Amino acid sequence: MAQGPGLTPVEYIDRFFDELRAEVRSNPALAARLVKALGGNVVFEDETKADVANPYGLAASSSKAQFYAVFGAMKLAQLKKVLKDHNLATKIDMNGKSAAQLVEMMHGRALTKVSERRSSAF
Amino acid sequence: MPALTAAIANLKGGVGRSTTTVMLADGLAYYYGMNVLVIDLDPQANSSQMLLTEMGVQAASDQGKGTHHLLASFMAGKPPSAAPYIMPNAVTLEELRLAEEHDARLGWISSLPSHPHLRLRELSLEEEWYGRAGTPTTLADALAEHYRAAFLPLQSIYDVILIDCPPHLSPLARAGLALADVFVTPTIADSVSTWGTKQFSDWVSKFIAPDLPSRNFVLITRFRDTKYARQVASDLREIYLKDRWFGPTIPESVHVLNAMDRAALDSYDTIRGKYAGVTGDVRRLAERFSDFMTQQTGVSWRKVRD
Repeated sequence: MAQGPGLTPVEYIDRFFDELRAEVRSNPALAARLVKALGGNVVFEDETKADVANPYGLAASSSKAQFYAVFGAMKLAQLKKVLKDHNLATKIDMNGKSAAQLVEMMHGRALTKVSERRSSAF
Repeated sequence: MPALTAAIANLKGGVGRSTTTVMLADGLAYYYGMNVLVIDLDPQANSSQMLLTEMGVQAASDQGKGTHHLLASFMAGKPPSAAPYIMPNAVTLEELRLAEEHDARLGWISSLPSHPHLRLRELSLEEEWYGRAGTPTTLADALAEHYRAAFLPLQSIYDVILIDCPPHLSPLARAGLALADVFVTPTIADSVSTWGTKQFSDWVSKFIAPDLPSRNFVLITRFRDTKYARQVASDLREIYLKDRWFGPTIPESVHVLNAMDRAALDSYDTIRGKYAGVTGDVRRLAERFSDFMTQQTGVSWRKVRD
């Protein structure tokens, strides 16, 4: 805990935001949550997409083109991770599939899940 | 040999009835090659969702399959027949699917699924029945008689019929219990579940099965290994339900919760992929239940897979 007797309140706040900045740089999932909480749009960068992008959220609120813009450029291993982490496919389901086939599967299954579960009251 | 019919039931909700139903179906089909029918009498349709997906449950309903359509046939005064309402393919395990593909069916799961409309149909039936001076008991008896006749031709097709009963005692739920040869009671190691299990046990003993203890298979599910939970589990086994058969204690598992959410109707997984760290528990559940079945029927079951 920072407790230097010579620090001003502004310096304490600076330290706090330095820590927050450092965490946001190294933790893309936290960064995405914070930006969403502030009402901003999360821009997905290639290296962090697999950790941050939520196929259900994108299928629910974006066009197919936007969905493909996020997931279409991902590598096979990243796609498999997203499908597995979001319970959209088993290893058996993904066996022998190309990246394009996995994106197609991800989009179709995410759309189906969203349509099954989203309340029609919205 | 006629199928053994097991009601998976407890008055307390949230004790893992649907997960237990699916684990038993998978375990008995996979390890013992049994032909299993899962009948879902719970309008929440959770075990149906786990087997068929939510979209699959709706598609089944659209095709005229499901317990709500069977109930409608009773209401319409049609002759008792359950076969037209069954989905013959509710397998989620890759090994069972592959065996079928190679014409070597070693275990299979069919589903007579539920749907939220089931409760609406039942309410409509109750209003009509009570309007004609019927009572809940006469309705439960009439439904049980109809269902017994409807399921009779299926007795020779299946090895075991699992009925996922709702957590209340509506006439339909009582009819489901009346069809059972044995009763599987999932419960949780906490005080409120213990109390709910006692209420259920007392009610079934009084109204359905006076010899319940010898026909009761108890399963402690969603177990969190704490001193408190160990004490409650021990009291259940040694004091409150000491005359019952107990299955293995099933640990709480996020992996299993995920696995029960089938990704799509054409999604399959191996038993190890589906159950991961709980695979051994599913095998022990199947082994213990197979022993229980042997004690009930005198027929021994041989494992077809390890």
